[in-house]
Amino acid sequence: MNVADLRDQLAAIQTEAEASFKSAKTVDELRSARSQVVGKSGSLGKLMGTIKDYAPQERGEVGKALNAANQAIQQLVDQHTQRIEQADLAADASQTAAFDPTLPGKRPPLGSVHPVTAVQWQVEAIFERLGFTVEAGPEMESDYYNFEALNIPAMHPARDMQDTFWLKNGLLLRTHTSPVQVRAMEKFGAPLRCIVPGRCFRYETIDASHENTFHQCEGLMIDRNVSIANLIAVMRLLLREVFERDVKVRLRPGYFPFVEPGFELDMSCLICGGDGCATCKKSGWLEILPCGMVHPNVLKFGGIDPHEYTGFAFGLGLTRLAMMKYGIRDIRVMNQGDLRSIVHPSRLNGPTVVERDRC
Amino acid sequence: MLISVNWLRDFVDLPGNLDVAALAERFTMTCAEVEGVERVSVEAKGLIAARVVSLAELPGTRNLRKVVLDVGGDEVTTVSAAPVLRVDQCVIFAPPGARTNATGKIGTAQVAGQDSTGMILDGASLGIPMAEDDAIFCPPSMVPGEAIPPEMLDDWVIEVDNKSITHRPDLWGHYGIAREVAAILDLPLKAYQITPLAELSQNGLPEIPIEIDDAARCPRYSGLRIAGVGHQPAPLWMQVRLGHVGMRPIDCLVDLSNYIMAELGQPTHAFDGDKLTKIEVGLAKPGEKFTTLDGVERTLPDGALMIQNKRHHVALAGIMGGLETEVSDGTQTILLESANFEPAGIRRCATALGLRTEASARFEKSLDPVNTVQAIQRFVYLAQQEFPNLELASTLSDCYPKPADPIEVEIDPTFVRRFMGHEVSNEEMAHILTAIGFDVQPAGSKLKVGVPSYRATKDIGIEADIIEEVARYVGYDNIDSRLPDVTVRHFPPNTQHVRERETLRALCRALGYCEVHLYIWLDDAWLKHLNVTAPSTIDLRNPAASGQETLRHSLIPGMLAAADRNRLHLDGFKLCEVGSVFTAGSDVSNQRRNLGMIVAQRGKNIDDELFATLKGDVETWAWRVLGTPATFVPHEGASPAWAHEHKTAGVSIGGIAAGTVSVVPLALRREMDEHLASWGIAWAEIDLGVLASAKAEDLKLKPVPEHPEVELDFSMLVPATDTYGTVNGKLATFVHPLLRRINYVTAYEGKSVPQGKRSLTYRTRIGAADRTLTDADLTEFRNTFADFVKTCGYEQR
Repeated sequence: MNVADLRDQLAAIQTEAEASFKSAKTVDELRSARSQVVGKSGSLGKLMGTIKDYAPQERGEVGKALNAANQAIQQLVDQHTQRIEQADLAADASQTAAFDPTLPGKRPPLGSVHPVTAVQWQVEAIFERLGFTVEAGPEMESDYYNFEALNIPAMHPARDMQDTFWLKNGLLLRTHTSPVQVRAMEKFGAPLRCIVPGRCFRYETIDASHENTFHQCEGLMIDRNVSIANLIAVMRLLLREVFERDVKVRLRPGYFPFVEPGFELDMSCLICGGDGCATCKKSGWLEILPCGMVHPNVLKFGGIDPHEYTGFAFGLGLTRLAMMKYGIRDIRVMNQGDLRSIVHPSRLNGPTVVERDRC
Repeated sequence: MLISVNWLRDFVDLPGNLDVAALAERFTMTCAEVEGVERVSVEAKGLIAARVVSLAELPGTRNLRKVVLDVGGDEVTTVSAAPVLRVDQCVIFAPPGARTNATGKIGTAQVAGQDSTGMILDGASLGIPMAEDDAIFCPPSMVPGEAIPPEMLDDWVIEVDNKSITHRPDLWGHYGIAREVAAILDLPLKAYQITPLAELSQNGLPEIPIEIDDAARCPRYSGLRIAGVGHQPAPLWMQVRLGHVGMRPIDCLVDLSNYIMAELGQPTHAFDGDKLTKIEVGLAKPGEKFTTLDGVERTLPDGALMIQNKRHHVALAGIMGGLETEVSDGTQTILLESANFEPAGIRRCATALGLRTEASARFEKSLDPVNTVQAIQRFVYLAQQEFPNLELASTLSDCYPKPADPIEVEIDPTFVRRFMGHEVSNEEMAHILTAIGFDVQPAGSKLKVGVPSYRATKDIGIEADIIEEVARYVGYDNIDSRLPDVTVRHFPPNTQHVRERETLRALCRALGYCEVHLYIWLDDAWLKHLNVTAPSTIDLRNPAASGQETLRHSLIPGMLAAADRNRLHLDGFKLCEVGSVFTAGSDVSNQRRNLGMIVAQRGKNIDDELFATLKGDVETWAWRVLGTPATFVPHEGASPAWAHEHKTAGVSIGGIAAGTVSVVPLALRREMDEHLASWGIAWAEIDLGVLASAKAEDLKLKPVPEHPEVELDFSMLVPATDTYGTVNGKLATFVHPLLRRINYVTAYEGKSVPQGKRSLTYRTRIGAADRTLTDADLTEFRNTFADFVKTCGYEQR
């Protein structure tokens, strides 16, 4: 190729390059367009190696022409790089219809613990802050721990108070979390502070306010000089923390053979505000916290000297508490596994626009 | 227990304008729970007694009769539907102009073509439960025309919760309730009106021979033979009161017995006095039969305590009398039994027979043995007013081999105050206790408290019992609350509980699971859908419903039912439950705590995807809760019906076989619910108990390498039959001084991969502690690793 032809070709390459650079919309596109020109096998790159094919006297001129072309290409690249970067900046700064900052974020489903578990954790946290240990006990329990060690011997009429699911293997389904009282005394001795959340079972006909399967949280505190005044203080604290406000309560005599004296702690019904409704059986009060001072016989069953230690125990109705807290009116939904009734819609469905109660 | 306020007025001078609701509230706060207060409001005007003169069927009617009544000189004709009217009976009549709330104002009407003047009142309109439409019959002492005092008919009825007086036999009668009411209102309690004991026991009449075989089963038996009684209505006031407390008036003798039971809590029984001469209290022989007065022949349970007459059974002690010796219309002499029985024995027998009566319910509560004689004294006192010909036919015979010792409890007032956390003076304690019948005497710095007999049967025996009496009258609401002073001590964490809590936290707060609580028994009807029968675990003796006898051995059946329930309303969800499952056996240890997980989603052929999701969740759970990885191994042993034949893996955690992950096969999904055919359901069940020993990995962090490390990717073709686990197992044996880590990157099957093979890509990371790697190092490693891959039988891509 003579030099004149080379010059023509370089001009053509330049024109072609400019067109291709112009059409590049991104830096990457520009980069690949550039390498099609100046790369080893690019249109200009291939010519770079041809310098040795020229006569020595032409080489100076050829070299200059090639260099000039190369520089011109680089200038074009720089120019278009700048163009693209400017365009990117402009695009980034402009508003597009596709971008809606108010659209919900992307997230996995929230999931949810059972309402009873939610309340249970709250109660656990309250008592852990008071230095109570959280214990568990078996749901299939022996007559000894469920009744006898709790001062309810066989044929005691108090057994009527708790209709029992009996098992063919001679054991039973615990009717309350109280069997863990003596289990915990055996495990830890005194002084002792523990709570025992758990499932209990009673052989009862099911309706909107009675279930044969429900949760309680047992509480037990044994120390020197534990008094009724202490029991009242802890019970009030518990309810205030759970409901995050002062709850009206009343304490009255109640009979449970494993405490002496025994109390029923009622709280003002939160559903009707104390005016009387179906949930509180029109009394305005809800029995929520049977409690009492641990009976000396029970302490003895647990191997603790009743002359040295006194204590209080309570059996918080977790299921009832969850109903109060979450406004659940029918206890039966607790064990049916229908997520609509135990999981808040916000945790079950996608982003919600409207959520209305049925009229 | 229903309590009539009119009745209480016999024992306490309650103010005329008594606020019954307020009294009930105070009773609840100091004594026992009142479940409700009801006004019995008849507001009668102008009612009179009237004698039936004649009765005639009213033609053309089904059940109406024309009744001519003597209303005190005059005769009137009325029409009545009362079924058991007889000539000469005395009824309650509402003449024209009279009224009650139930009937309104009474007038004269035409009934079925017959002029009807006034109305014979039935029990219901007077607030007395009777058999359908039955009239109330007045005792012979009432004369026709006699006005019925209206104030007797209006009453307040207080319902006391039976469960709250389980330990208080004294509160199973009006007199005991009155004692508490008197103390609450600070009013005196009137003496109980009874015939003096001397009249009954020192009358020179013959004794009734009484023989008790075992005084432990029957501590006391008192009896009295009474002649000159008979079948007649009880006095109207007694019928009304019984009616108000829910008992149907029957006949004077029966009503007297019921009345005294409702007053004192002591059941009595009247035998036909001509049918027995002697009383023995003994045990039934195994398999013996006995017909109770309700006409039912019963097979007596072992150890049933029986009342016998010359060793022939006449009553089921404490439960029900016998048919043979029942008082009949012609009975003129009765033998009145008033006894005290051992509570557990009565309860055992009543439970075995399924025959719980008003009497047995009271005997179960440990009655005061003093009451046997008192009840007889009261019976005679009341009966004398009704039966003018009443004559005693025996001396009060009383067999009481080992009289109970009086109980005395010493209390330390300082301890009482400390136990209550409240200041109460010794005087206040004494005042409270005395008001409810205790005897209080100072003894040095302590107080000696004599327990009255009616509180001495299992109710009061220790200091704490006395403190309760003091505290409830102080008023629990008056005790200031004060947080306890505690002894600090350390409790080791309950790992099992902590893990359960962490499990739910990890699954429900981070992985989108919804926790469910399901019943711990299986449902046979649902098991049928799962193509299985109930497993042999542990059966309930008294299931909640038939077909729900068996305790669950797995959480999954119930969770699948819950999944099926939710598929109606959702397109996909994750469920979890932490709960107890059971294995056959009779020990408390035959239960474990399991974790069940379900991932369900609408869609076809999504099993693999759901399986992978669930496995990922199990891995996340294992890391988060146990701090150790979960690995998946070929499933061993029998699979449950809800496991897929192939798509099942065992979960291994720290070398412990902890559970199973699988998907529900299509065939079973169809069986469960045809709609589930277009769903995928993956499940996992993990035994949390066996993981007790699982240890968290050492999570110490390492410093950043001083010299740069390099990552090299390798893809290799492996036979599709070699699982990921197998390949990993082989790679794990590779040893090279520069190797730091091998990670799995991806698996590929498809274009450019030959049939029957799979391409797996791994990333190796290499480095040296003392220098930067050179090209030669990289080449050497590449070659060594390639050689190793070859020795594994794989081909590098």
